[in-house]
Amino acid sequence: MAELDFERRLERLFAEAPDLPDAQAFAERIERRLDRGWTARRWLIGAAGVTGGVIGASQLFMSNVFERVQTAEQSARVLGQGLSRVTPSTDMVSALSGGYGLWIAVGLAVVTMGFVVSRVIEEI
Amino acid sequence: MSGAPQSSFASLHDVELCAYAAAGERRAFGELVRRHGSAVRGLLRRMGAQAAEADDTAQDAFLAAFERIAEFRGEGTFAGWVKKIAARQYLRRLQRDRRLTALPEGVDEAADATARDADHRIDLDEGLKSLSDAERLCVSMCYGAGLSHGEAAEALNLPLGTVKSHVKRGLEKLRARLAPDAKAGGVDLEGRRGNG
Repeated sequence: MAELDFERRLERLFAEAPDLPDAQAFAERIERRLDRGWTARRWLIGAAGVTGGVIGASQLFMSNVFERVQTAEQSARVLGQGLSRVTPSTDMVSALSGGYGLWIAVGLAVVTMGFVVSRVIEEI
Repeated sequence: MSGAPQSSFASLHDVELCAYAAAGERRAFGELVRRHGSAVRGLLRRMGAQAAEADDTAQDAFLAAFERIAEFRGEGTFAGWVKKIAARQYLRRLQRDRRLTALPEGVDEAADATARDADHRIDLDEGLKSLSDAERLCVSMCYGAGLSHGEAAEALNLPLGTVKSHVKRGLEKLRARLAPDAKAGGVDLEGRRGNG
């Protein structure tokens, strides 16, 4: 029993934190290190995003995507007309398969970008 | 999670601060460092690290804790969790600098003699100075960082029996200094953590 008491006392003594005068400075130093790491990470992610974006955009231009979109739009319109003959009530399908689909996609992309920008501002 | 004003962090419990820190709130983690930084630095000094080395190791331990904060489930205390990380980091430093292999196996007779002659009313820090490096490390890891004998043996890369004897001898010396009135002779001081 005595040894258990002594061990408990020892644990209590170990748990007592010494009163160090630079405790505040130590905490601030760690906060600065965390901030530095976070900023570097943000720059890295940003740089990776920009690089990816540039590569993606260049790939789009190189693959004549706009021409293909026009062709696809025409095909979709024909398809939509065909569908409307079969089921006249499917307005939504024909709307999405036409030029509207592209605009909806653009709208969604803008909303997503809005979320990303607001999140980045919040982090800053 | 990220919307808590900084001034409110001081009133939050450690577990809540950990949740904020896990969500990337660095100021919440700063509050945890403010609360437990001295305890972690103190443990490392008690393990035998010089002040500057203890501070560097504590800093690395806190940064590692922030990276792994999602692993902290709140089963023990945050301070205990960081202390274990810090103790292991300090051991890695010792191993890297090949200082751990130089730990003397035997009893430090000179320190032991000083301990016997010294005033009984001596605090833990002074008491730890009377232990050999190996005893000090083992006792600090088991009673300061909360590691079991088995965990300490694994971290120190020493046989379990060796760790147990270091702890036993260390406890006997500490008891002679911190609780001189108690009859230490003949009592098994291997410790509650003896099962490994």
